[in-house]
Amino acid sequence: MTNNGRKIKIQVQNLTKRFGDLLVLNNISFNVYEGEFLCIVGPTGCGKTTFLNVLTKLHPATEGDIYIDGEPANPQKHNISFVFQEPSTMPWLTVEQNIRYGLEVKKVPEEEIKKRLNQVMELVGLKDFRNYYPRQLSASMDQRVVIARAFAINPDLLLMDEPYSQLDIKLRYYLEDEVIRIWREMKRTVIFVTHNIEEAVYLAERILILTPKPATIKKEIKVDLPRPRNFADPEFVNIRNQVTEMIKWW
Amino acid sequence: MNAKASPAEIFSRFLPLTSLLLIIIVWQFAATGGYFGKSLPSPVAVVNQFVDMLAEPVGKTILGGHIWASMRRVLTAFAVAVLIGIPMGLLMGWNKKAEAIIKPIFEIFRPIPPIAWIPLAILWFGIEETPKVFICFIGAFIPAVMNAYTGIRFTDPLLLDAARSQGANLRQLFKEVAVPSALPAIFAGLQNGLSLCWMCVLAAEMVGAEEGVGYLILRGMDMSNPAMIITGMLIIGAVGALIAVGLRYVERWVCPWKREISM
Ligand SMILES: Nc1ncnc2c1ncn2[C@@H]1O[C@H](COP(=O)(O)OP(=O)(O)OP(=O)(O)O)[C@@H](O)[C@H]1O
Ligand SMILES: [Mg+2]
Repeated sequence: MTNNGRKIKIQVQNLTKRFGDLLVLNNISFNVYEGEFLCIVGPTGCGKTTFLNVLTKLHPATEGDIYIDGEPANPQKHNISFVFQEPSTMPWLTVEQNIRYGLEVKKVPEEEIKKRLNQVMELVGLKDFRNYYPRQLSASMDQRVVIARAFAINPDLLLMDEPYSQLDIKLRYYLEDEVIRIWREMKRTVIFVTHNIEEAVYLAERILILTPKPATIKKEIKVDLPRPRNFADPEFVNIRNQVTEMIKWW
Repeated sequence: MNAKASPAEIFSRFLPLTSLLLIIIVWQFAATGGYFGKSLPSPVAVVNQFVDMLAEPVGKTILGGHIWASMRRVLTAFAVAVLIGIPMGLLMGWNKKAEAIIKPIFEIFRPIPPIAWIPLAILWFGIEETPKVFICFIGAFIPAVMNAYTGIRFTDPLLLDAARSQGANLRQLFKEVAVPSALPAIFAGLQNGLSLCWMCVLAAEMVGAEEGVGYLILRGMDMSNPAMIITGMLIIGAVGALIAVGLRYVERWVCPWKREISM
């Protein structure tokens, strides 16, 4: 099975997740293709975070299977980065140590670590704060550390759970372009969860719209616009309205 | 930091000193006024007593010797309690089976004050050093275990997930996430344990000892020498405070991220 000749990167088959009696994910199936930029939008509490947690094997699935490159997902084996929705820096590590952590776990050579550290700290504007502890940072700086940490790993699969919702608009626009740039340069697969419809249309090649809990896929929308995209482009506005309608509908 | 402190600031900085001074003055008047007969020595008498005891032995040794005798017991007991208690608490917090086995035992022993062990300790270990060290050990052991345990149990699951998603294995999750996140709780337990230890040694020494600060106080009572009792009490307070301050420095060094926001 291919999509424009692309290989399947992630295969989600009949995925169901329950917390006790609470059904959160209801028999979801879809594929994500190699090198794809997929956005997932859905109402609050519908199970987006749960889906990512199950995808990365942080939580067990109740039923169904997830394969990455045809094998069951495994964070120790697959090179995955996860930008969590909640602050997730280690309070006892400095900014620099937080970013290094994953690289050290993956036994990246020290020289390479230094190179990537400088790159990503430049990228998110944290150079002058490398020796600060997270509690000395603002919420938005803290989230930048998590983003830097995710980019530094050079993941083949980048999962982002409403990563930019804490940031101010200017930084958000900047990092939206950055994630696009990184995605195009490194040819990675990205799954980006967001509440922000405009953000989804700006970023995605394909948007999955979820229903309220228990979540199933309500609709899949392809966004085939040239980049950089223009918020005022009638085609852009058209797709945005289409997604908004879908969301209003429930 | 700022060039000039306002008069109000200067005043509030000297407030603690002023109140201390006031207490000493009131004490001096109360003592010399003779309202308490001979049972309340004046501050000056206490200072004299202190200076005397620096060089003149009470019982077997001089003041420094008594302090050292108590300290030796406390430090021995504390070291053993830390070496056994922290690993045990960490294990209990990390491993469900260990928790199921050890926790019920602790729930039974935890509410028993260490001092309640004194009679048994004397029956078991006689009246030499061992029972005193044993009582102190109980005092430090329980908070060492409990705080290491709760520290691990309260590790933020999101941080464990974050490390796991970066590829950390179980051993790394324990060593690099759970333990550092438990450190502040562990240190709080050590603070508690050490001050409990210090209280326990006094109680144990007052039941029967030939040296130590607890012995000093009791000796003061036997000799109807209230100046000696008060000197002993002040020493106890001062040593206890010094121990706490010392441990706080160690904590700041081990947990630099806990320091107040600066830079
Ligand atoms: N560990 C858990 N135990 C029990 N219920 C949970 C757990 N985690 C999530 N839930 C429930 O599952 C549902 C989906 O939660 P989830 O966090 O996945 O939603 P979300 O789509 O990410 O929401 P948001 O847009 O607010 O981030 C919620 O009703 C939540 O209460
Ligand atoms: Mg969420």
